[in-house]
Order: sequence, then structure tokens, then C-alpha cells
Amino acid sequence: MKFSLVIYAAPYSTESAATALRFAKSLVLQGHELYRLFFFGDGVHNASKLTVVAQDEINLQQQWSELIEEHNIDSVICVSSALRRGVLDQTEAKRHEFGIASAHESSEVAGLGQLVDAILHSDRVVNFG
Amino acid sequence: MTDKLTTARPAKSSITFISRSAPYGRNRANLCLDMALACAVFEQNVNYVFLDDGVYQLLKGQDGAAIQSKTLGNALETLALYGIESVYADQQSLKARSIDMADLLPGMQLIDNGAISKLIDSSDTVFNL
Amino acid sequence: MSSLHTINRSPDSNLLESCIKVVSAGDAILFIEDGVYYCNSPIKLKTITETVKVYGLREDMLTRATLAKTMDSVEAIDTARFVELCCEHDKVVSWF
Repeated sequence: MKFSLVIYAAPYSTESAATALRFAKSLVLQGHELYRLFFFGDGVHNASKLTVVAQDEINLQQQWSELIEEHNIDSVICVSSALRRGVLDQTEAKRHEFGIASAHESSEVAGLGQLVDAILHSDRVVNFG
Repeated sequence: MTDKLTTARPAKSSITFISRSAPYGRNRANLCLDMALACAVFEQNVNYVFLDDGVYQLLKGQDGAAIQSKTLGNALETLALYGIESVYADQQSLKARSIDMADLLPGMQLIDNGAISKLIDSSDTVFNL
Repeated sequence: MSSLHTINRSPDSNLLESCIKVVSAGDAILFIEDGVYYCNSPIKLKTITETVKVYGLREDMLTRATLAKTMDSVEAIDTARFVELCCEHDKVVSWF
């Protein structure tokens, strides 16, 4: 089946982002298609690249990025949520004249149209907040 | 909300939004509204239900100026402008909070639990925050 | 059409109470994260286990040391089964 996940939860603050990650890993492992990840609200922090965690803790952002790259998943950070929270991809960083992108290259900043597209193209939309 | 859908799709999807959060204190009411407006822009069938603390969004006379915030009540009046006509307030939630019809923004239809469960049941996708 | 409802907060949230009001016959409820504390509360669960199938996410129960006292009417499942349940129901409604 085709799944899309909408993630509202920031990493580390609640368990929800970690639950979403485990769910995403499990569904691709079972051979389902992950059509799109849509990070919304505080969820955009899951795409932050400039993060450092203690050695004995898991780096959620890193794990998201690895999963996205390994399975070639379309990953969208919602533009309205991302810019005000300082999560910028290359394009947005350049447009707003910041020296460096703060988002993992595996995700792209885009609008809510991509959420609507995901709704229309997925068998299941699952929300994690 | 300005981006175009990458794939044209004739199918209309029935999408129900259950807005369960009070305005201002958290941003969930705004996130819910933004998603619904995006779905309406892309001409989907949108239902919008105010449940639990979500009914506080419907109070007349809100003014975000004092906290440098946009007034959410005004945004709700735009639901109709975006073609969202199926907007409902849960009767039981209003009653539990001692809110009368006279306290509400105009144009609100009341709904009961049975009708909400039917709405959920008949929708393709449900967002609930 | 049937829905899988997920609930991720403890009984203090009253999320189950909101959810119950709008469930339909054939729906199922899955408790995840802090929601698994509901699975140890006979009073909270009594009314629903007769009408809908109830699941709890095993990983979250193990983490919180609540699995042993989970009620018999709740089926403990893993994340892989969570994914399957999403496929078996027509949609997923998340309560958070």
C-alpha cells in the first residue's frame, strides 16, 4: 500500500517523532511504499541538519535522513512552518541570503499543495503529533 | 499554498478536519485551518468540525492585537470564501463549556456525536488536531 | 468503512472519552506512547472493549513496565502489526 505520514511533533520533546520513525521503517521493511513524508508545525525540526546529540543517544534527524536517502523517499518540510523555525534547505537559504542551509539535503521545503497531493495519491495518511 | 500540484488528478477526495484545540495557546488550530484551506484551494470536498476545546475558536469578539497575534476568528469566516460550506460545531462540546449560539460567529451549523461519527466513517481521510 | 483510532496520551487527557463518542461499529482503537496507560485501567476501558477491538503498542508497554498488568481484553501488538492494522482499516484517525 501507499502511505504518507504527516509529522507534527518535534524530535525529543515527545515520543511521537520517534514513533513515526519506527512506523516509517517498519512499513518500508514490509514492502509498502512511503509516498511522502510531510513535516508540519514543530515537526519541521526533524529535518534539521545542524544537530549534535550525545554519543549514547539516537540522532533522530540523522536517522530520518538516512531512511529517506536509502529508500529514495519524497520528504517535504512545510514552507510556512519551516522558515519561521529556521529550517531552510539550499534554495531557501540562498533566497534569504543565509550562508548555509540548516535542513538535511534529503528533505525539500515546499507548500501545503504537496500535502494535498499526498492525500490524493496515498492509500493511507497517518498523522503523528 | 501557491505551489501547483505536480500531478493532475480528477478525483475528488472527501477530507474531514476535526479541530479540537483552543486558539492562541497552541498553534494546532492554525495548522488545522491551513491544511483545510489548502485542500479547498485544490478543490477537495472538505468538512470542518469543531470539537472539544476547538469550539472556543468560534467565540465572537476575539482580538489578537493585545498579544500581537492574528485573530483566528477572522480566519474562520474565510472558510466559506474558500468554498468550505460543511462547517459544524459539536453541540455537546458547546454545552459542556456553557457556550450559547449567541456567543458564536455566524453561519455555524450544529452537529451531534452520531453525525460526526458518520462523517468520519464516510471520509477518505481525517485530520484530527 | 472502518477506522483505526490511535490514542497517544495518558488517561488524564480524556482523549479516549472524546474518541468513544464518535467511533463506529467495526472500528478499532490502538493505544500508543502514554496512551498505553489506558490499558491498565479497567474502569476507563470497560465500556469500549465490548464494542470495539482494542490494541496496545507492545514496545511502549515494555518501556513503561505496564505490559504485565495490561488487561486481557487488550491485544499487545508490535509496530509491524500497527502498520498491518492501518492497511486492514480504511483510514487512520490519530488522537493526540
